[in-house]
Amino acid sequence: MLVIENCRLTWPDFTADYSLAVEPGSLCAVIGPSGGGKTTLLHMIAGFEHPQSGKLSLNGRDLLPLEPAERPVAIVFQDHNLFPHLNAAENIALGLHPSLRLSSAERASVSEALSAVGLEGFDRRKPGEMSGGQRQRVALARALVSGRPLILLDEPFSSLDPDLRRSMVQLVDELRRKRPVTILMTIHTPEDVAGLADRMAFVANGRVQASGTPSEILHGSLAKKIAASLPES
Amino acid sequence: MRLKPPHPGNLVALAIVALVAGGFTALATVDGGKPALLSIGPYLARILAFSVIQAGLSTVLSLTLGIALALALARRRFPGRELVLAALSTTMVIPTVVAVFAVLAIYGRSGWLADALGLMGWSTGFNIFGYPGILIAHVFLNAPFVARITLDALHLVPAEHWRLAMVLGFTPGQIFRHLDWPVLRAEIPGVASLVFLMCFKSFAIVLALGGGPSRATLEVAIYEALKIDLDFGRAAWLALIQLVICLLLTGLLNWAFVRPPGTHTIRSLVRRPDARNPRLKAMDAAVLFIGALFILPLALSVLGGSQHILAVMDADLLQAFATSLAIAAIAGTLACLLALALGTAARRQRFALRSPRLAALYDFLPSTLLAVPPFALTAGLFLLVRRMADPATAGLILLPLINGLAALPFAYRYITPRLMVAEERYGRLAASLGVTGTAKLRIMDWPVLKRPMGAGFALAMALSFGDFGIIALFGGPELRTLPYLLYERLGSYRLDEAAAVGLFIVLIAFLLAHISSRLSHAGD
Repeated sequence: MLVIENCRLTWPDFTADYSLAVEPGSLCAVIGPSGGGKTTLLHMIAGFEHPQSGKLSLNGRDLLPLEPAERPVAIVFQDHNLFPHLNAAENIALGLHPSLRLSSAERASVSEALSAVGLEGFDRRKPGEMSGGQRQRVALARALVSGRPLILLDEPFSSLDPDLRRSMVQLVDELRRKRPVTILMTIHTPEDVAGLADRMAFVANGRVQASGTPSEILHGSLAKKIAASLPES
Repeated sequence: MRLKPPHPGNLVALAIVALVAGGFTALATVDGGKPALLSIGPYLARILAFSVIQAGLSTVLSLTLGIALALALARRRFPGRELVLAALSTTMVIPTVVAVFAVLAIYGRSGWLADALGLMGWSTGFNIFGYPGILIAHVFLNAPFVARITLDALHLVPAEHWRLAMVLGFTPGQIFRHLDWPVLRAEIPGVASLVFLMCFKSFAIVLALGGGPSRATLEVAIYEALKIDLDFGRAAWLALIQLVICLLLTGLLNWAFVRPPGTHTIRSLVRRPDARNPRLKAMDAAVLFIGALFILPLALSVLGGSQHILAVMDADLLQAFATSLAIAAIAGTLACLLALALGTAARRQRFALRSPRLAALYDFLPSTLLAVPPFALTAGLFLLVRRMADPATAGLILLPLINGLAALPFAYRYITPRLMVAEERYGRLAASLGVTGTAKLRIMDWPVLKRPMGAGFALAMALSFGDFGIIALFGGPELRTLPYLLYERLGSYRLDEAAAVGLFIVLIAFLLAHISSRLSHAGD
């Protein structure tokens, strides 16, 4: 279980204070207005931001003293996920060994990850030769192949068109059902994940204002609370 | 049917081509003499070999020091770093004749190094003239420039790549391989060809530090043919050869110097993960120390002129200052007006006439001027006007013209992108309202153009103010600019006065470059 307890981060013009619990193996969608602190929450879990106080643990293991590379966390960003001079297979292989020296078993798992995201035969393609959706699939494959139990998706499909976005969310859901991974995904369009996410967390003003099932957040008892927490503008 | 008047940009393009062609033709056909290429064969081979070797060595050394400095500065944060970066940005406008002074003041026979060793009873026995002086001066001018350009490119690595490097646990070697090297590999051909081009065309440094006629670049050889031997035919051949080589290099430069669009938004928040590696810390400290040891004394030697600045405040200096300022102001105005005319013509081709290939021709014209040997062009134009004007008057006409043309590529790069942006944003609106011609320029373009025009004007002035090129042909008691005055002082071994004049030039050039930089970044 991912547990975040009163993790406080302070900047001169912004203060964030997060508390959230996510069940293992679940897909939790993080929604909220732009600038509300969704990405900061993911960056804190990944180790790019360091809270001044609070607790952060995964399955009982304290994550705060760990460097980003030591944390059991993989991440996919909205853009710039792939190194342009490496081909798809090499970009995925970085998730196993940054030296790119792979055993034959590891090479097989790279091919398997490519198949899992529907990109068989794309091993030698460079990022410049792939569409935006294909590039995000490769990034997703790298996150999967790394075998880390928590995957953070930071608005990974925002730049894709609505149909492609929905099919990518579907793919994420299929993949996590086949593997023991917990997924935390920030997203601008809650309706895309409404039927798939187990939990939804609403983040605004640097806090998790509400969390619950998608129907609770979008239509139920928490909807009014969410509306009240939004800035008046 | 009424004929439409030609676009001013077309007239400007034609005028530039006619000026260059006319100048070269006048030079090649003077006195009806036909230059004999074979007769200058061995001489030409020697000069070409020297030009290529010194430019090649200067490029390798400048790139080695510049890239090492850029990597060290990318990894390190220290007090005064911003000041170092600002200083690196301004090296482009350091006049070459000031670099000559700095090299002589430190490494010359009576320089600081010889004095310091002399105090300990040692003698350097080191002759600065020839390759050592030329290479030191070229590296002093170009390594900071390479460092600044490379550092800017390294900053274009998206923040996400740094975060991925952290999550994936890249070692310093893997960071270099996957993040730094792809940037350097893309950047090196363009930077190297630019530095090679500048060193290949080097004039003042080779003239002053070459140590004799056997060590001359093509530019110096053209100057000697014109000024000393009055052999116009040889000058024309040399100019033609220089033009062809430089055009090839300029073409390579245009092809190689394409930088991919980058992400600036959150880069400053990301600290490079390799910054904590102790071996890299030691290596960066050593590189910064070596860079400082090489560059600082040369810079300080110019600052040392402050003690003598009052002593040189005479009528000669004030007259030279006024002349330099007037020439620079006219050159700056000319560069901006020509750039504006060519830029609007390029815009018309791109947007109204939908002909991007023709638009690219307008873009290419200013950069080809980098390849034109200024001495040959000036001499040719002088031959055309010599019946109407004495050398000093001709110099006063030709100096701002040639300096303006030399600054045109830089002014064009400031002005044209903004013209394109204005068209993209408001072009259709202006067309629908019937706003055209000067009204369009005043209402639509001027608000977005005034700052880049100011930046281009200030940079063109800075380049012209410190230029020691054409003035070497026309300079004398009747016509003296500040760089010429500095060269005179150096020639008569009045190093203290030379330092003061050099400081004066550098301060004004830096002030103009600073204004240019502020204006070009304002409103971004």
